[in-house]
Amino acid sequence: MSAHAATPGQAPVQLITVQGVNKSFGNVQVLKDVNTHFNAGEVTVILGASGSGKSTLLRMLNRLETHDSGRIVVDGIEVNDDLAELDKLRAEVGMVFQQFNLFPHLSVLDNVTLAPRRVRKLSRAAAEQRGMELLDRVGLKAHAHKHPFQLSGGQQQRVAIARALAMEPRVILFDEPTSALDPEMVKEVLDVMKQLARSGMTMIVVTHEMGFAREVGDRVLFVDKGCIAQDAPPEQFFGAQTSERIRAFLGQIAH
Amino acid sequence: MNALIRMLASPWPAHWGRARKSSATMLSATLLMVAVLWLGALPLSWMPDPIGNNAIFYIEGVRTTVMLTVMAGLAGVVLGLLGALGKTSSIWPFRLVAGLYVWVVRGTPLIIQILFVTFALPQIVPALRMTEFTSACVALAINIGAYNAEAIRAGLLAVPKGQLEAARSLGLSQGWTFLDIVFPQAFKIALPSLVNNVVGLLKDSSLAYSIGVVELTAVGNRIQSVTFLPVPTLTAAALIYLLLTTMMTLVSDAIERRFDVEGKLK
Repeated sequence: MSAHAATPGQAPVQLITVQGVNKSFGNVQVLKDVNTHFNAGEVTVILGASGSGKSTLLRMLNRLETHDSGRIVVDGIEVNDDLAELDKLRAEVGMVFQQFNLFPHLSVLDNVTLAPRRVRKLSRAAAEQRGMELLDRVGLKAHAHKHPFQLSGGQQQRVAIARALAMEPRVILFDEPTSALDPEMVKEVLDVMKQLARSGMTMIVVTHEMGFAREVGDRVLFVDKGCIAQDAPPEQFFGAQTSERIRAFLGQIAH
Repeated sequence: MNALIRMLASPWPAHWGRARKSSATMLSATLLMVAVLWLGALPLSWMPDPIGNNAIFYIEGVRTTVMLTVMAGLAGVVLGLLGALGKTSSIWPFRLVAGLYVWVVRGTPLIIQILFVTFALPQIVPALRMTEFTSACVALAINIGAYNAEAIRAGLLAVPKGQLEAARSLGLSQGWTFLDIVFPQAFKIALPSLVNNVVGLLKDSSLAYSIGVVELTAVGNRIQSVTFLPVPTLTAAALIYLLLTTMMTLVSDAIERRFDVEGKLK
């Protein structure tokens, strides 16, 4: 259990609520009546086989995918097609992508400062000062004036994390953040994410990194065939797994 | 030829940065263009007859050609952007109008378009009776706009979807996402095609000759027919076109280099 887990006796604050959500792509129903919630300050790790619907669930939380029915409420904002509300919501929900998606035509520093300047109306000087602090935090201060193509995959993903942090979001969504990285670069990204988790950031992480889930996760959601098949603390999930299906999945990942 | 272009494209000190070199090229090519426009009559007048004694007419023709190109070119970029936005719009009437525009303009000869704007349009809408020069500008702008629309549309479609997702997930509005993220990347992709279109426009502006605009081709042909010396008079006109398109290529190369943050250009 990580250091920042909710203090005993203090009720956890529900940041995101997902109620009866369904989603189909054509004839394929990828999510079936999903009900769950995410608490402030918690690190939730979403596991599942590819095609289970775990990325779709994550991408619905900031409406990169739409849900067909049901309700999603993030920090009191209903997730729907209201564009103004949606921009407000997305400013509070950071996202880190598998393919980094840095802006190739902007310098590293501009990647980090663009949204705070445009959305938070920060002056360039203030945004850059904060941007440099964040780049320092992810160990890339020296690369601030380079362009993304000059960085390794691991470095690019750390810039992407700094870019998300620059908006000071309430929660950050990670969509398989290490899956596109060479093995030797996975650790540097996970280290930044662990440091972030320990600082108390609310994180929802879709990943195949079991070590990360075990070490810093407060909660593991296992998604199978569009349903949340299990919702358990990591020690129970990895230690005392009763489900045959999940044991088989964990066996495949381990090898 | 390539070596010549490369030498012309970067005559600047090697230690200069990419942005500085491209600024220098843009500035000097623009100055050269202005010099040709305002002082070009002087070197032309030193040439042997029949060029030297007609230098003033050639230069007037050049000015008209450049004015046509610049005006129609600028309007054409705006039309092209609107056309591209229309064709990629999620609102179907916009797609329909933009699609019709591109379809009709690309599917009919430019000379018909010029004749139509000059003679047919004022018959339909009398308020649209314009001078020959303006008519030519309008027709050329409409024409290049359709080709630009396709070039810019290709650029817009080539920007990866992940770029939009990243921008929107940071809370950037649709407007900022377009201005800061999509358009700069799309423009860079579209630039070589846009330049191609403008070089084509410079040459196609010679069709304004057909409605009596006294541009470079008209001048060349008139002097040719008066002097009975077609070889030097038409060669002079052709060489001036070549000089103008070369300067345009230099400017566009410099712009491309400025956008080339990844150092892909050799």
